[in-house]
Amino acid sequence: MSRLRAEHLYKVFGRRSDQAVSRLEAGADRDELRAQGTTAAVIDASFEVEEGQIFVVMGLSGSGKSTLLRMLNGLLEPTSGRVLFDGDDVTALKPRELRAVRARKISMVFQHFALFPHRSVMENAGYGLEVQGVPREEREERATEALHLAGLKGWENSWPDELSGGMQQRVGLARALATDADLLLMDESFSALDPLIRRDMQDQLLELQKTLKKTIVFITHDLNEAMRLGDRIAVMKDGRIVQNGTAEDILVRPATDYVASFIQDVDRSRVLTAGSIMEDTKSDSAAMQSGGELEDASTVTAETPIAELFTPFSNSEDAMIVTDESGTPVGVIDRERLLSALAEEPQVNGIAEPNDTERGPDAAGVTARA
Amino acid sequence: MPEFHPGNWVESAVDWLQVHFSVLFDFINKVLTGLYDGINAVLGGAEPLLFAAILAVIAFWLRGLLAAVATLIGFALIDSFGLWNEAMQTLSLVLAAAVITIAIAVPLGVWAARNKAFSTFMRPVLDVMQTMPAFVYLIPGVMFFSVGTTPGLLATIVFSMPPGVRMTELGIRQVDGELVEAAEAFGTSPKHTLTRVQFPLALPTIMAGINQVIMLALSMVVIAGMAGAPGLGESVYAAVTQVQVGLGVESGIGVVILAMYLDRMTGALNARVSPLGRRAAAKATAALGRMRFVRYRPGTAVALCGVVVLALVAGGMNLAGTGDSKTTASTDVGKGKKLNMGYIPWDEGIATSYLWKEMLEERGYKPDLKQLDAGPLYSGIAKGDVDFQTDAWLPTTHKQYWDKYHSKMEKLGDWYGPTSLELTVPSYVKGVKSLEDLKGQGKKFKGKIIGIESSAGEMKILKDKVLKDYGLEGEYKVVSSSTSSMLAELKRSIQKHEPVVVTLWSPHWAYNANDLTKLKDPKGSFGKGEKLYSVGRKGFSKDEPTVANWLKNFKMSEKQLTSLEDQIQGAGQGKEQDAVRKWLKDHPGFLDKFAPVPGGEKEKGKDAGKPVKMGYFPWDEAIATTYLWQNILEDRGYKPNVKQLDPGPLYTSMAQGQTDFQTDSWLPTTHEQYWKKYRSKLTDVGAWYGPTSLELSVPKSVKGIDSLADLKGKSDKFGGKITGIESSAGEMKVLKSVLKEYGLDKEYKVVSSSTSSMLSEVDRSVKQGKPVLATTWSPHWVYSKYPMKKLKDPKGAWGKGDKIHVTAKKDFGKDFPELNGWLKNFKMSEKDLGSLEAAIQKGGKGKEKQSVRKWMDKRPGLVDELAPVK
Repeated sequence: MSRLRAEHLYKVFGRRSDQAVSRLEAGADRDELRAQGTTAAVIDASFEVEEGQIFVVMGLSGSGKSTLLRMLNGLLEPTSGRVLFDGDDVTALKPRELRAVRARKISMVFQHFALFPHRSVMENAGYGLEVQGVPREEREERATEALHLAGLKGWENSWPDELSGGMQQRVGLARALATDADLLLMDESFSALDPLIRRDMQDQLLELQKTLKKTIVFITHDLNEAMRLGDRIAVMKDGRIVQNGTAEDILVRPATDYVASFIQDVDRSRVLTAGSIMEDTKSDSAAMQSGGELEDASTVTAETPIAELFTPFSNSEDAMIVTDESGTPVGVIDRERLLSALAEEPQVNGIAEPNDTERGPDAAGVTARA
Repeated sequence: MPEFHPGNWVESAVDWLQVHFSVLFDFINKVLTGLYDGINAVLGGAEPLLFAAILAVIAFWLRGLLAAVATLIGFALIDSFGLWNEAMQTLSLVLAAAVITIAIAVPLGVWAARNKAFSTFMRPVLDVMQTMPAFVYLIPGVMFFSVGTTPGLLATIVFSMPPGVRMTELGIRQVDGELVEAAEAFGTSPKHTLTRVQFPLALPTIMAGINQVIMLALSMVVIAGMAGAPGLGESVYAAVTQVQVGLGVESGIGVVILAMYLDRMTGALNARVSPLGRRAAAKATAALGRMRFVRYRPGTAVALCGVVVLALVAGGMNLAGTGDSKTTASTDVGKGKKLNMGYIPWDEGIATSYLWKEMLEERGYKPDLKQLDAGPLYSGIAKGDVDFQTDAWLPTTHKQYWDKYHSKMEKLGDWYGPTSLELTVPSYVKGVKSLEDLKGQGKKFKGKIIGIESSAGEMKILKDKVLKDYGLEGEYKVVSSSTSSMLAELKRSIQKHEPVVVTLWSPHWAYNANDLTKLKDPKGSFGKGEKLYSVGRKGFSKDEPTVANWLKNFKMSEKQLTSLEDQIQGAGQGKEQDAVRKWLKDHPGFLDKFAPVPGGEKEKGKDAGKPVKMGYFPWDEAIATTYLWQNILEDRGYKPNVKQLDPGPLYTSMAQGQTDFQTDSWLPTTHEQYWKKYRSKLTDVGAWYGPTSLELSVPKSVKGIDSLADLKGKSDKFGGKITGIESSAGEMKVLKSVLKEYGLDKEYKVVSSSTSSMLSEVDRSVKQGKPVLATTWSPHWVYSKYPMKKLKDPKGAWGKGDKIHVTAKKDFGKDFPELNGWLKNFKMSEKDLGSLEAAIQKGGKGKEKQSVRKWMDKRPGLVDELAPVK
C-alpha cells in the first residue's frame, strides 16, 4: 500500500471556489475561470507515492506544483479532493491534529531555506523538536545528529547568516531530518543554489536516501534534477498533471507535445539506461546466437546510464552484453543501437492523456528504477 | 448653509458623563495617579547624583562608556539647574504613560497585523489620535479628572499610542512569509508562531515604535504641563507665561537632556532585548577586531549588580536623610496636612502664593503649588482639587469664572484693593496723559493698542466700552496677544524709544521697572477698581478653618506687595521661595500676624485650674452652649466637667450646690416650675438669648406665604397638613389657639409626631423641593441647615417668647467671679447659635466637643471676646 495518496485534488483561489470546481469537472478550462477572477492553481491532481520513493513534481513556475505540495501537509486546504497519508485523511483533520501530524510525521524543506535568523544553527535544526516539546538535552543531541547527517559537523553554534547558501540549506535539511518525519516535502529546495552545489546536494540527498529511506515529494522546475532524483516524475502544466511516470517514460514516451518539447534539451544519455535501449535477447534469437559469439564481450548492468557506454564503444566495435542484477545476460547493445537511441525523437505515445488520470499512475506500466 | 455643531453634543455628553460615570473616572484617576506616584516615589526619592549614576550604568550597559559619561554630565547639569525634581517628575510621567501605552499598543498592533478588518478600522482611529490637537481632549480631561497628573497622562497616552500600534503591526507583517510558513509546516500553533517567530523577528521594528512612543510621550508630557501635570513641562509653561527667559532655557535644556537620554537608550535597547539586535551587535563588535574595546559593554548581570548596589546606597542615604523636620511641634498646626494651591502666573499671584506656601510650610502644612491658567485654576477649585488661590480679581477681571463657578467656591477674603485697569504709555510719549488725548494720535501708535489675552476681562471692557466712550473705535485696533508678549512689546518699544500704548493694570511691577504714564480715565469707563480675593473651594473654610481664617485676615499694602515682588524678581527664576523666606525675615512678625498659631498664646484665666461642674439637658441649644463653654473654659485653664441631666434633677443639683451652672434656663415660662421651686437657692446670671419664639415655618421656595394670615385658602399646597411635634409639647397646645385666631383650624389638620420626625419631614420636603408646613421654634438649627422661613405672626397669637438664661448655684458669683462676669456678658445671635447647632449635628454624636472646637476655630477671637482676660 502506498504511503501517500492524493485523490482528485483541486485548489481554486478566489470567490465561489466550490462552483469553480464543479465547472472544472464539467470541463471548463483555466482561462475561462481566470476571466472571472478565480484562479485554479491545481486541477484534479491524483497520484500515489510508495514508501521510500522520491516523487518529483516538475513544472514551470505557475504550474501549481508548490500549491500541490502545500496541500499535502495541510498548509493549504484543498478546495476539493483529499490527501491520505498512511491511510489517514489529512484534509479532514482538526487544526490541532493537523499540527501534530506536521510536527511528527511530515517535515518540509524550503526554497529559500526559511532559517530563523534569530536562532543559532543548532536551534534551527532543533526547531521541530522544540515544537514537539522534546526536552532540551535530547533536542540538542538529535539536532546535532541531524546536522552531522547533513554534513555540518562543527557548525552547530554558528548563526545562519554566517553560512553559505548550500550550508544554509543543509541546515534546512537537518531541521527536516531531525524530527524523524517519514515524509519529506521539498519545495524547490535546491533551486536557489549554484549548479555545482546543487549537484552536491542532490548527491547528498541520494546518499542519505539510501540509508534513511524516507518518502520524499520533491518539487522542481529543473528537468535534469527531476530525472536525477525522481523515482517517479509527475509533470504539471497549468495546474494539471500531464504525465506521471519514470524518467524513462517521460523521456521515451512523452504523453503530450508539451512534455515532448520540455524534454528536448535533456541530456538523454544520462537518463536512458543500457536496459532501456538494449536488444532483448529473449525476443531475438539471432542476438542470442550472436551473444554466443560474443563470449569475451564486455558486460554492463541494465541500470548503467548510456553515457557511460561511449568509452567502451570507442575502444571496441563489439557489441556489449547487458546483464541484470544477478549477472544473467538479458540483452545486447551494439554501436548502431546506441547511436539510434540518442538520435531518436521521443514519440508522443498517448499513454497519459491530460485528463486521463482515472487510470492512475500505474497505468504508465513502468516500474520504479530502484 | 444650516449650521451644524457636533461640539454641542460633545459638551452635553461630557456633562452627562461627568455626572453618571464619576465612579469610573475616579477609578481611572486612581490607577493613573497611583502608577505615577509609585514611579515618582522611586525615581524622585533617590539622591540626585546617585540616581544619575544609576542612569549612567544603564547607559554603559546599553551604549558604552562614552554614553555613560555623557549621561552623568547631562543629569548633573539638570541637578545644577535646580530642576532635578521636575526632571524626575517628567521622567516618571513619561515612564507611566509609556508603560500603559505599550501595554495597550503592542497587543493592538498584533491584533491589527493578524486581522485585516481590525487594521482597517484602526487606521482612521489612529489618525485621529495622532492629529487631534491635544488641547481638545486636555480640556475635557480636566473636567473629568481635574487638573494634575491624570489628564496629562491620558493625553500623553492617546497621543503616543499610534506609532506603537503602527510599528507593531508593520513589524509583524514584515516578517518573511516563508519563515511563518516554515513555523507552521513544523506544526507550530498560531500562538507559538507569534511568540517564537513573528514577535522576536518583529522586535527591532517594535522597539523602534517604542522609541517613538517614548519620544512622543515626552513631548506631550511637556504640553500637559498646561493642565497642571508636574515636571519640566510646568517649568517651561511657567517660564513662557512669565517671560522668564532664563528658566525657559534651563528647563528646555532639561527636556532636551531627558529626550536624548530616553531616545538613545530605547534606541539601543533593541541590541539587548531582541535576538536579532544582539546578533547585529555581536557582528559589529567582531568586525572592529582589535578596536573592539571601544564598543565594550558590561554584561547584563554586571550592569544589574551596579544598578542594585547604587540603588541600595541611594535607598540607605534616603532613609538616613529623612529625620529632620522643619517645624517644631508647637508651631505644627498643619501636622503634614496637604493643601493644594493654584496660581495664575501673575506677579501678585506668584508673590502671594509663594508667600503662603512658605508660611503654611512654617505652620506644618504641606502645600502643593501649581501654576495654572485661569480657566483650569477656577475649574480646579470648583471641582475641589485646588483648595484655594490668592489672586482672584473681582468683580470684573475674573467675572466669567466667578459667574460660572461661584456656587462651588467661597470667597475667603480680600487682601488688596482697589486695583485699577488702565491704558499706559511710556512717559516719554508727550502730550498723552488721559484716554481723551489718544484721539487723533492713532498714527503715532500705528493705530494699535497692545492688548493681553483676549479672554481677559480687561480686554472686553476695553473693546466694548472704553474705546466707544472715548471715540477711539476705528482709529485704534486692539491687538490681543498675551501678557508676556505685551510686556515684551513694551520693553522693546522702550528700548527703541518708540511710542506704544499698552493695556496694563495696577498693581504691576512694570510701573516700578519703567517710567510709565497711566492714562487717566475721566469718564470712568474702566469701571471701579477691583479687589484681590483669596478664593477657596466650597467647604474649604469648614474643612480648614484655621487656614481659612488666616486668609480671611490676610492683608497686604501696596508697599509690602511690591517689595515682595521686587524680592522675587531679584532672586530670579525658580528661587521664589528663597526670596519669600528672605522677605519674611525682613518683615518680622508678618508670619505670626497673618498665620497665628491658634491657642499658642492662650492666656489663662484667673481661676485657672479650678474645676467647674456644668450640667445640661439634651436640648440642642443647651448642648451647644455647654460644649462651647467647656471649650472656652479649657482654653482658659479651667477644668470643666460636664454632665447630662434631666431638667428636674439639674435644677435640684444646682440648688444643692453640686452643679455650678447651666446655660439653658427658659424663663419666665418654660422652666417656671423649677425656677419657682428653687429660686432662693439659685442665681440668674443673665439672659444670653432671646426672645425665643414659637412659629410655623415653610421652605423659602414656597412663594407668597410669609405670614400666618397668608396660609388661608392655601391648604391644598400643603395637603391640609401641619407637621407637628410631640403632642405633649406646650407649643402644640398654643398652636391650636393660633390656628383658631387666624381661622385656619378647619382648613388644616395638625399631625402630631415627634421633633425628630418633624425634622426628617422637613429634610425630605426640602430635598424634594416640596412645600411643607412645620411646627418649629427659635432658636433651632433647622434654620441654618435648611432654607426655612418663619411665618410672621401679626396678631401676636403665639404670645411672647421666653429668654434663655444662664442660671447658677447660689454662691456662683463668689466662687467664680471671673466666669460669672463672662457669663453675664455672654450673648449669642440666632445665626451663630444656629450654625453652632448645625456644626454639632454634622459632627455627629459623641463628637460634640470636637465639633464645637472646629466651629470655634473658624471664629478666631471668639474666646477673647467671650472670656476676656484682663
